[in-house]
Amino acid sequence: MINITLNGKKLSVEEGMTILQVAQQERIDIPTLCYHPLLEPYAACRMCVVEVKGDSKSELKTSCNTKVQEGMVIETDSERTLNARRLNIELLMARAPAAKVIQEMAAQMGIEKTPFPIENPEAKCILCGMCVRVCEDVVGAHVLTFEERGFERKVTTAFNMPSEKCIECGACAYFCPTEAIRVEDFRGREVLHSELTLGPTTAIRIPFMQSTPNVPFIDKDNCIHFKTDKCKLCEMVCEPEAINHDVEDTFKEIEVGSAVLATGYELLDCSNMPQYGYGRLDNVITSLEFEHLCHASGPTGGKILLKDGREPKGVAILHCIGSRDENYMKYCSRVCCMYAMKMAHLVHEKVDAEVYEFYIDIRAFGKGYEEFYNRMQKEGTHFIRGKAAEVTNAALIPEEENKLIVRAEDTTVNMIRRIPVDLVILCPAIVARKDSEKIMKLFGLCSTPDGFFKEQHPKLGPVSTDADGIFLAGACQGPKDIPDTVAQGAGAAGAVMSLGDEVAIEPIFSAIDEEICVGCKICIGVCPYDAISYVEDKKISSIEETLCKGCGACVAACPSGAADQNCFTNSQIEAEVSGALF
Amino acid sequence: MKPYRAELMVCAGTGCVSNGAFQVKDALENEIKERGLENEVRVVTTGCNGFCGVGPLLVVHPDGIFYQLLTTKDIPYLVEEHFLKGRPVQRLMYTPPEDKLPVPKMSEIEFFKHQMLIALRNRGIIDPENIEEYIARDGYTGLAKALNGMTPEEIIQTVKDSKLRGRGGAGFQTGVKWELTRKAKEKTKYIVCNADEGDPGAYMDRSILESDPHSILEGMIIGARAIGAQQGFIYIRHEYPLAMKRLLIAIDQAKEYGLLGDNIFDTGFSFDIQVHRGAGAFVCGEETALLSALEGQRGEPRPRPPYPVEHGLSGYPTNINNVETWANIPVIISRGAKWYAEIGTENSKGTKVFSLVGKINNTGLVEVPMGIKLRDIIYGIGGGIPDGKKFKAVQTGGPSGGCIPDSLIDLPIDYESLKEAGSMMGSGGMVVMDEDTCMVDVARYFLTFTCDESCGKCSPCRDGTKYLLDILTRITEGKGNMEDLDLLEGLSKVVKETALCGLGQTAPNPILTTMKYFRDEYESHIKDKKCPAKVCRQLNIYTIDEERCVTEGHGCGVCMRECPEKAITGEKKKAHKINQEICVKCGACYDVCRFGAVIVE
Amino acid sequence: METNTFEPKIVGFLCRWCTYQGADLAGTSRMEYPPNLIPVRVMCSGRVDPSFVMQAYSEGADAVVIFGCHLGDCHYQEGNYKAMRRYHLLKKMIEELGIEPQRLQLEWVSASEGERYQKEVSRIFSEVRELGPLDLNNGKAQSNG
Repeated sequence: MINITLNGKKLSVEEGMTILQVAQQERIDIPTLCYHPLLEPYAACRMCVVEVKGDSKSELKTSCNTKVQEGMVIETDSERTLNARRLNIELLMARAPAAKVIQEMAAQMGIEKTPFPIENPEAKCILCGMCVRVCEDVVGAHVLTFEERGFERKVTTAFNMPSEKCIECGACAYFCPTEAIRVEDFRGREVLHSELTLGPTTAIRIPFMQSTPNVPFIDKDNCIHFKTDKCKLCEMVCEPEAINHDVEDTFKEIEVGSAVLATGYELLDCSNMPQYGYGRLDNVITSLEFEHLCHASGPTGGKILLKDGREPKGVAILHCIGSRDENYMKYCSRVCCMYAMKMAHLVHEKVDAEVYEFYIDIRAFGKGYEEFYNRMQKEGTHFIRGKAAEVTNAALIPEEENKLIVRAEDTTVNMIRRIPVDLVILCPAIVARKDSEKIMKLFGLCSTPDGFFKEQHPKLGPVSTDADGIFLAGACQGPKDIPDTVAQGAGAAGAVMSLGDEVAIEPIFSAIDEEICVGCKICIGVCPYDAISYVEDKKISSIEETLCKGCGACVAACPSGAADQNCFTNSQIEAEVSGALF
Repeated sequence: MKPYRAELMVCAGTGCVSNGAFQVKDALENEIKERGLENEVRVVTTGCNGFCGVGPLLVVHPDGIFYQLLTTKDIPYLVEEHFLKGRPVQRLMYTPPEDKLPVPKMSEIEFFKHQMLIALRNRGIIDPENIEEYIARDGYTGLAKALNGMTPEEIIQTVKDSKLRGRGGAGFQTGVKWELTRKAKEKTKYIVCNADEGDPGAYMDRSILESDPHSILEGMIIGARAIGAQQGFIYIRHEYPLAMKRLLIAIDQAKEYGLLGDNIFDTGFSFDIQVHRGAGAFVCGEETALLSALEGQRGEPRPRPPYPVEHGLSGYPTNINNVETWANIPVIISRGAKWYAEIGTENSKGTKVFSLVGKINNTGLVEVPMGIKLRDIIYGIGGGIPDGKKFKAVQTGGPSGGCIPDSLIDLPIDYESLKEAGSMMGSGGMVVMDEDTCMVDVARYFLTFTCDESCGKCSPCRDGTKYLLDILTRITEGKGNMEDLDLLEGLSKVVKETALCGLGQTAPNPILTTMKYFRDEYESHIKDKKCPAKVCRQLNIYTIDEERCVTEGHGCGVCMRECPEKAITGEKKKAHKINQEICVKCGACYDVCRFGAVIVE
Repeated sequence: METNTFEPKIVGFLCRWCTYQGADLAGTSRMEYPPNLIPVRVMCSGRVDPSFVMQAYSEGADAVVIFGCHLGDCHYQEGNYKAMRRYHLLKKMIEELGIEPQRLQLEWVSASEGERYQKEVSRIFSEVRELGPLDLNNGKAQSNG
C-alpha cells in the first residue's frame, strides 16, 4: 500500500494504480477524452492533467498514465490545472467545434467561445486516437491509421482507400467519443451483423429464447477474435472468468443402442428466384423472417415495420414459393397454407393493413383448420386464387408509386391482377437439409426422390428405417406440421423404448458346414464385418452369428459350397430361379 | 607504418567536402607526385576539424601549420613553396579579424586555443576509415580495461562517479540511467545510440560520427557490457550519408578485429550493433518516438512513464544515449572518473561540444569545458561579431531552446544556468545574433520549425504551436494587438506544461525568452507597427531619398525595373518615387539600389 | 412390316435394400413396365453366386440382370463392388461360351428410383427382344459338357 495526499485528503492506496484510477475510486471527477479503461493510456488529449506537488517544484502530469508513488501530493483542481485544461479545451473547440462532448466539457468549465480561429465548423474529430488504437490494439484489424503530422494530422485508412482488411466490426465508431466516425454501408453489404438480415445482433448472444441450455454463446462468424486473433474484451470484463476462446469443438463418442433422427429441414433459398425480388427489393421477406419480426425479442420488439420504420398499409403473402412448382420442388410443403393464414391474422391484429393471400389451392386439411380458413375470410383477408408470378417495384400508375407490385393471374376471374402493397412475405418450400446426404451415409439410410430420409415403409413403417435401431421424427422425413411431428416423435420414442434390453436380430445370417469346409479362408477376406474367424484346431472357418449381418457375400464366394445363408440358401435361390423360368 | 617527412591532414568533414575538399586533396596528391615527393609527403583525409567557416582546410603535421580556404589553384604554389622549398605560405594561413598578422600554428589560433577536446579528441588527426589509426590513439584501451579488469557494476560506478550527464539535451545522469536499465527485470536488454540529430544548425553528432566513429562503437560496447545488453542500435538520420558510410566501415573493421560480435576479447561477452536509418522526422530524436520508429511504427512519442529503461524497444529495457555521450565513455573508463569529474562545474562535469553559428566571425564546432563563460565563447573562440556590429543575443539549445540576451553574457554555461535563463543545453546549438536581428522574427522562425515538426499526437503541441505561430505571424505583419501578448504568454505556458514530449514542452521557449528579455520589441511591433531591426518587411516603409537618387545614381531606374508591383515611378536622371499604396514591401528596391537611395523606416 | 412379338424370359437378381424397394416404389406408383423380368430377391447383389446366373441360362433364361445399390451406397459397405467384379468376369466367360454379352447386365437402382427401375427394365426388355431367344444348342453355343 502507498500513502498519498489527494486534494488534501490522506489516502492509502494499492501500488500500481494510476492517479486517475485513484481519483475515480474517490469519486473525484477528472475530465478525459482519450482515455478508455480497456485501452493502454495514450496521454494525448492532456485533459486529465493534475498537479503533482514535490518538495522543490510542482509539475503537471497526466493522471491517466502516471502511477501513484509514496508520499505524492496531488491536486486535481488547482488553479494551474484548471487553467491548463481550459486552454486545452479551447484548442479542441477550435479543432472540433461540432463535437458534442467538447461543447459540453467547455460549458462545464464556463467557456462559451474559443479565442482561436475555427477552420471547419462541421469538424468533430479531436484526434484522440481512440479509433486507431481500438482497431490496432483491440481488434487487430490494422485498418485505421494517422496521416500527415502536426496540425494536418488526420485519421484515415491506408492510401485513403476503403480497406479490404476492415472486418466491419464498428468498434471505431463505438469508441469514438465525438461521433466523428459513423458506420455506413459500403461494398453493398450490411455493416451491422444481422440475423436473418433484419437487424443488428451481437457476436455474443443467447441463440434464441427458450434455447437449451439457455446460456450465451460466441458466434464465431461474427466474433472479432476469430477474425483477427485479438480483442478478447469479453474475457477481460467477465469476472467469473467463464469465457475461454481457446475451447475447440470436441467430438464425444457415445455408445447407444438406437438413434432417432430429427434433423429437420431447410427453407428454399429464395434469392435464386429473382422474379420475387428477394434480396434485391427492400421489404420482400420470407415467412421465417416475418416470424422473427413479429417476435417480442425480435429486432423491432414485435412491431411489424418496414425497413424505413413505417407501418405497412398493404401486405401480400405469397404461397407455394418453390413448392408445387415444376421448376423447383414438385411436392406440397404442407404447412404453408395454414401458417400463411396465421400470419394474415397477426397482421390484422397488429397493424391496420390490407392482407392479400396469393394461393394455388388452400389446403386446410387438419383438425379445426378449415374453420380457421373460414374465420380468416371473415376477418377480411383477400384470398386471390392465383400463384404470384412476379414482384416488382416498377409502377405503371400513380397508385403503384413507391410500392411493391405483386402480379398474378386470378384464376377465379381469369385476368392478370397487379396488387400494390408495402410488404411481401414469401412462403418458401420446405426442403431437405443440405447435409442430409452425409447423415444418410453415416446411418446407412436412403432418401426418397424429394431428398428427405426414406422411412422403412410409407404405410407400415413410417417411423423406422432400413437401418436397425434408427428411427425418424419430424420434417427430416418430409414436410410436416407440428402435430404430425409430435406424433411421429412420440412414435419414434415408443419404438426405441419397445426395443428393450435385448436387440432382436434378423434370422438371416450365414453359416459354414464344418464337414465341407476346407479352410481356404476366402470367406474371411470378403466379410466386411469380421464375423468369420479361422478355427485353428479344426482347420476350418467359422461364422459368429451375432456379428453376421447376412449379406451373403461369403456364400457367393465359397468355392466348396460349405457356406450357406439362412432364408436365402443356395438351393432356395436356385429353386426360385427354376421357378421363375418354369 | 612507414614514416613520412610530413603528413597533410585534409579535413573531409561535410562542410569542407561541400566546399571542394576532395578536389583539393586530389590536386595535392597529383602535385606531390609530379614533384616526386610521394615517398616523403603523405596526404590523409580526416574527419571534421570544427572550424568549418574557413574550409577547405589543411593541417600539416608534425609542425602543426594550418592552411585555410584552399582552392585547387593554390595547390601548385603551396606544394612548391612549403613542401619543396620549406617556406610556409602566409597568404593561406588564418588571420584573426582585428589582426593583420597571420597565425601559422593551429594551436595558436584563438578558435582552437581555448578548446578542450574529449569527445572530439581524434578530430582532424586520424583517418576515420582506418581502425588502426584509432587504436594508435589509445582506441579500444577503455574497452580492454572494462572487459578484462572491471565488473559491470564497477563500470557503472565509474560512469556514475564521473557525473557524466546525457549530452542529448535533458542532462540525465548517464550512470544512473545505466544502473536502472541493468536492474530492470527482463533478461533481454537493448542499447541505442541516438544519432538523429535534427536541430537546425547543430552538427556535433555528425562531426563525431564522421571523424571518429570508433569512439561511439567503443562507448556502446562498454555500455552494453555494463548494462547486460546483447544488441545495440544506432538510429542515424537519413541526411547523414557520409556518417552512415563511415559508421558501417567502422563496424566491419571492429568485427574483423574481434572487437564486436561474438566473444569479444575472448571474454565470452557478445554484442552486435545494427544501424537503422531514420526517415527524417525531427520528433524521432525524442527517445520514445525513436523507439517507435525503430520498431517500425509511426515515429510518435509515447507517454512516459513507463520509461524506456523499463519498457523500451519492443517492451524490453532499453538504454538510449546520444552520440556525444557514447563518445565520452571510452575516455572516462581509460582515464578514470576522477580525472573527468575535475573538469566542469559542480553539477555539470566534463566538456560540451557546441556548434557556433550565426553572426559570428569564427563559425564551427567547439568543445569547451562546462562552466565556460558565454563571453569566452563568443569573443574568445568565436572572434566576436563581424562588421563591428553589436551582439544582441544567443540562441542555445536548438529550436526549442531560448534566447539569452547580452545582459547575461557573463553567464557560465552549464545545464542549470541555461535552464534558469529560460533556455536549455539541448544538443548544443548556439546561434549568435547581432543587432540586425528581430527577436519576434526569431521566435516566429523557430516556431515555424517546431510547428512543422510536431507529430500531432497531443493537442497542446499540435494545435497550440499552430496558434502560437499564427499569433506571432500576425504580430510580425503588424496586425497584432496587446491582448495577443497575454494570449501568447498564457498559451506558451500551457503548451510548455502540458505537452506530451520534449518537443512540445520546449517549443514555446523561444517565445517565452524573447518576451522576457525583449518585450519592448513585441510592443513596438504592435503599438508602433514598427520592426526595430527592420526585418519584418510588412512593417517597413520604403522611400527614396530623392537627392541621393539624383546626385549619386542619376535616377538609374534599376529599382523601377525590379519592382514587381510597378509601384516606383520616375524618369531617367530624375528622382524616383514609391507609391506607398501599391508597395507590397518586398524590399526588392532596397536590395538592388547601389547608391543607398532607398531608405527603410 | 412385321412386329417383333418375342417375349423373352429375363431373370433379375434384386438387392433387397435398394432395387427391390425401387421396384416396389414403381409398383405403388402404378408405373408400367414389361412383366418379362422375374425378380429374385437377394440380400445383396454381392450374394449373387455366378452359378445362379449360369443356372438361369441353362434353364432357359434369355437374359440375366443383376440390380444393386449405387457404388458407395451398399448396405453392406462393399457388396456391390464384389458383384461388379464378378459381373466383369462372368461377362468374359459367357462370351467364350457364345452367349452375347448383352444378355448379362448390371444396373444400379436405388430405393427412391422407381422411375429408373421402370426405364431400365423397359430398355433391357427391348434389347433382349431384339437379340431374340437364347439358343444354347444352335451350334454357336456348343456346350463342352
